[in-house]
Amino acid sequence: MTLSEVTERISRKLEAKGAQPDRQKIESRLRRLVEEFGVNVDEAERTVTGDLAREYNVTGVGTGGSSSTELRQIRDLAPNDWVTIEGKIVALTPPVSPSIAQTGIIADSSGAIRFVAWARGNPPAMEYGHWYRLESAVVDEYKGAPNLKIHSGTTIARAEEDAPLLPSITPIAELKPGVGSVRAKVIQDWEVSHDRMLQTGLLGDETGTIKFVIWKEEGKDRLELDAVYNVYYATVDEYNGRLSLALNTAMYIPDEGDIEVGRNESETRGALVHIGPGSGLIKRCPVEGCNRTLSRQNYCPVHEIQPEFRYDLRLKGVLDDGVHAKNVLMQREVVERLAGITLEEAVGIAETNPLGMDEIFYRIRNTVLGRYYTCSGSEFDGRLLVNSCTPIVFEPAELAALLNRAGGEPA
Amino acid sequence: MKPQSTFEREPARRVFASELRETRYQFKDGEDEKSPTYVILPTGIRSNRIFVVGTLTEKQRQGDQNIFYRGRVVDPTGTFFIMAGSYQPEAMQQLARIEPPAFVAVVGKPNLYTTPEGNCLVSVRVESIAVVDRETRDLWVLDTARETLDRLDAFGTTDDSRKAQEEYGTQPDLYRKIVYDALSQVQL
Repeated sequence: MTLSEVTERISRKLEAKGAQPDRQKIESRLRRLVEEFGVNVDEAERTVTGDLAREYNVTGVGTGGSSSTELRQIRDLAPNDWVTIEGKIVALTPPVSPSIAQTGIIADSSGAIRFVAWARGNPPAMEYGHWYRLESAVVDEYKGAPNLKIHSGTTIARAEEDAPLLPSITPIAELKPGVGSVRAKVIQDWEVSHDRMLQTGLLGDETGTIKFVIWKEEGKDRLELDAVYNVYYATVDEYNGRLSLALNTAMYIPDEGDIEVGRNESETRGALVHIGPGSGLIKRCPVEGCNRTLSRQNYCPVHEIQPEFRYDLRLKGVLDDGVHAKNVLMQREVVERLAGITLEEAVGIAETNPLGMDEIFYRIRNTVLGRYYTCSGSEFDGRLLVNSCTPIVFEPAELAALLNRAGGEPA
Repeated sequence: MKPQSTFEREPARRVFASELRETRYQFKDGEDEKSPTYVILPTGIRSNRIFVVGTLTEKQRQGDQNIFYRGRVVDPTGTFFIMAGSYQPEAMQQLARIEPPAFVAVVGKPNLYTTPEGNCLVSVRVESIAVVDRETRDLWVLDTARETLDRLDAFGTTDDSRKAQEEYGTQPDLYRKIVYDALSQVQL
């Protein structure tokens, strides 16, 4: 892109607003920024356009790339674009700060995006459920998701008619931070962890599962466990590399039918090369919904001393296939089968043996350490939650195949 | 440095005794005092942890002030020298309890030593050790054969294997033969 092209573009923009700019002046200003100050061309264009717009006292001049007046699909918006879109206001959320006039979600048939309208530009209020044309809005990134900024230079026009809009449904496995619509089944309903939380749990479709949250708000209902819903325009957040859905911006409508939820189970083969501390017989906090592991002194980090603890068996280990080491977590049923000891037996041994609970740790470790297993389960937080674990058995066919592969002369 | 949240435990490489015995090249990945130390195995992969299963044939207590245990673990290709000292109290006590001969599974760190005479020795500092059965030993031979062949197949295509070529002049065919011989000793 040459400077004269940029000059031409700036002049046209200003002329379209009724100003008569001096092309030479524009070009010399650009040249000065680019050549003397090493500013990149895009930034120089923005600066010069902004400066001149102020000088000629015109507003609504798009200061970005050439496509700012061309109508764009919401799905294709990327950060740093200056864009013109047409969309329907599908959600309005309470602004978090007085400097924000409106926040919500605007959608077209291709997708949806969160928007924020800044109060300083005095934008006209947009109404829920209507279509608007937004010219010269800016896409930026907020918390890892694209976000549309409506500023003083953005023109907002109500569309003449409100076309019906069918949201496009995204498979859960393909959700990205931003806004997403899913058809999913409520497969788990968890204890809420916060006063302001109405409900939290797990939604699933054929491709996978995702955590959801509904914050307390007027007019928000809980989801029914095991029911299928169409969830339109939920907010997809990312935290520590994991996605979750906030349903407060969403409309959720019960749907018929059932969904075979894909558990994204994975299977790993390898040797158990490490049995971590906290394996074996443990004590858990009896307070409802807590379930934390107690220290040897029966201390729960939240509920302090709990003499009425519950016993449990678990195994935290590393399953290693020689190329990757994977953390695995096994719950009571799996450990009982693997180590050939029931929880009751373990408690009995621990209460009569001088080593106490350590005895169970050693017994389990000596039974499983260094042995080969196939573990399958779901992955969570970089750890495999094992549903089933079976010892690998020796297959003569495999020996034959490896002998062939090593390719020596027959013995 | 990777951030803590993406920490990945170093896998335990599968290696036959005769390959580990040839290992001579050791390096530190990074400048930090706590940076991990790796060896380059002759078949071309870095390793700071290995997993071996074999027969513990001999065990010895040594030292007066600083007690440590040495042992010999035999696989179809040769002998691993293992040791566990007071810095690995759990491993040392586990080893102390095991009476040879026994099939054992050992997870540990390979260590290079140069003797005063200038010979280079490789030993394995035990992280954990447990008694296993014959079937686990056979599975390990298959596993180690497979991993070794995988490394040989990729030989020359990875940085680590080019380094191995430079340091050892590895002849892949020789190691294929070792794998074949090891497999031949497993009874059907």
